[in-house]
Amino acid sequence: MTATAGSEREQLAYIAAKAADSRVNVELETEGMTLNIGPQHPATHGTLRIVAKLDGEQVISADPVMGYMHRGYEKLTEVRTYPQVTTLINRIDWLGSFANEVPFILAAEKLMEVEAPPRAVWIRTILFEMSRIANNLLGLGDMAAQLGAVTPVFYAFRDREYVLNQVEAVTGGRFHPNFDRIGGLKDDIPAGWIASTKDSMIKMRQAADELESLVFGNEIFTTRTRGIGIIPAEVALEYGMSGSNLRGSGVDWDLRRDSPWGLAYDQADWKVWTHPDGDSYSRAWVRLQEMREGTYIVDQLLDSLPSGPVMAKVPRIIKVPEGEAWVETENPLGAMGYYIVSKGDLVPFRVKIRSASFNNIAIVPWVLKGVYVPDIISILASLYFILGDIDR
Amino acid sequence: MGIVPGLIKGLGITAKTGLKTVFPDGIKKPVPAPSRGAVTVQYPHEKEAPTNRARGVIALHEENCTACMLCARECPDWCIYIEGHKYLAPPRREGGKPRSKNALDRFDIDYSLCMYCGICVEVCPFEALFWSPEYEFSEPKIADLLHDKERLGEWMHTVPEFEAYESGSEAKVKKVPTT
Repeated sequence: MTATAGSEREQLAYIAAKAADSRVNVELETEGMTLNIGPQHPATHGTLRIVAKLDGEQVISADPVMGYMHRGYEKLTEVRTYPQVTTLINRIDWLGSFANEVPFILAAEKLMEVEAPPRAVWIRTILFEMSRIANNLLGLGDMAAQLGAVTPVFYAFRDREYVLNQVEAVTGGRFHPNFDRIGGLKDDIPAGWIASTKDSMIKMRQAADELESLVFGNEIFTTRTRGIGIIPAEVALEYGMSGSNLRGSGVDWDLRRDSPWGLAYDQADWKVWTHPDGDSYSRAWVRLQEMREGTYIVDQLLDSLPSGPVMAKVPRIIKVPEGEAWVETENPLGAMGYYIVSKGDLVPFRVKIRSASFNNIAIVPWVLKGVYVPDIISILASLYFILGDIDR
Repeated sequence: MGIVPGLIKGLGITAKTGLKTVFPDGIKKPVPAPSRGAVTVQYPHEKEAPTNRARGVIALHEENCTACMLCARECPDWCIYIEGHKYLAPPRREGGKPRSKNALDRFDIDYSLCMYCGICVEVCPFEALFWSPEYEFSEPKIADLLHDKERLGEWMHTVPEFEAYESGSEAKVKKVPTT
């Protein structure tokens, strides 16, 4: 180190300035503020509490506190017979509830070595995709509402009815279909359903276009989401994210394409959408594209719907043989799986539910660190979790 | 990219939808009923018809029930209460043995607990339970949500006929029994 007189003086000045700075800092010791977002907050889709420590406008740390809506479904399934379980697990992700039943039923079918007839598989896939459309549509409308746009959420609620009416016409329940049975489906589709579903799919495509121009073309929306809450692909994978949130980070991973076991996704021609940016905007954008792609999947599967029975031959009293099975499907919110341990009884011995939102919000402490307070809402809305899916 | 174009377009979409709601027949012919162009339904005055399969309320066809308790056992939250007794009915033919028959004393469904899953309707082997899309049975007191067999029987006339199935189906269309 070649120290000259000039630089020495500079050094001293630097030290003095530092000392003065530290003195000022001691005098103006800023205290962090703890801000509780939730448990009752519109941005939390239920009762999630986020304890955010703030330094001025910046978040130092944010911890999600969950369990306010814990209903103990894993334990409850141990005292319910297999047909009764689907009633309960409908209520995990209440916006796309048909999708919740499918992995459980598939896992039980795997254990019983029963295969659902093709018509049942097709209808299952169609309803699965319709629940994704309804879920993603409401998610986008809700995100816009949280970012200050009031209109899109009403349009989303209005247009979602077209899908929910179709689901109700075939299953009897708008939100809790309880339609899947081990070995097939409860009932076949009513006459005229294919035509009306195709009509509603056209309406959903219009809704997607309208939402795209209303929300994604809005400069305020773009400014509040572009470059906000960037999650790189490696981090997303490390935290176990899945679904549209992972594809929004540019990871091309979709269980519908990668392991279509038990569902008819390989029978349709469709595309997995990804976005390389990984910010709030890209997550919402992927969700919109998936909703539109879902309508095409439904259309194709309706065209190729095979005829035949919808129920395989299963005993009236269902006893699942001893064993363990794990089935994972790509639900609207991400990968959802059920691990069933059976002891050959009427009831499962143990059911482990892997729900997507639980893993998706694990990244909240990482992604909220250092962001500004208004961006919390944008990031949480773009992650799009549902509390029933977190707490179970 | 300026601030204006996207916002103007969004306002345009909102205004177009608003105009369509208020003037469904064009701007020169205002419609007095506000719900014509709107998607919302003015509920107590006008009602939406639920679909045929909608799970609204469970109806009991009492003659078919044998008090076998299958529905009560399969109910996920055990909200069905059944009591029955056996009695000897007179023989059908002269000199025959008297027949043992089941009579229903009590058949209650507690709708404050019911999850509307439809398992009871599905497991009933004698076709005594049916879904009705009727939904207006809210009560000021929670205890009144316990429907007894007379009340459940009253729902029977609201049960719609089963729909025909889509082509390619092999399921058989069931019939609703008439009393």
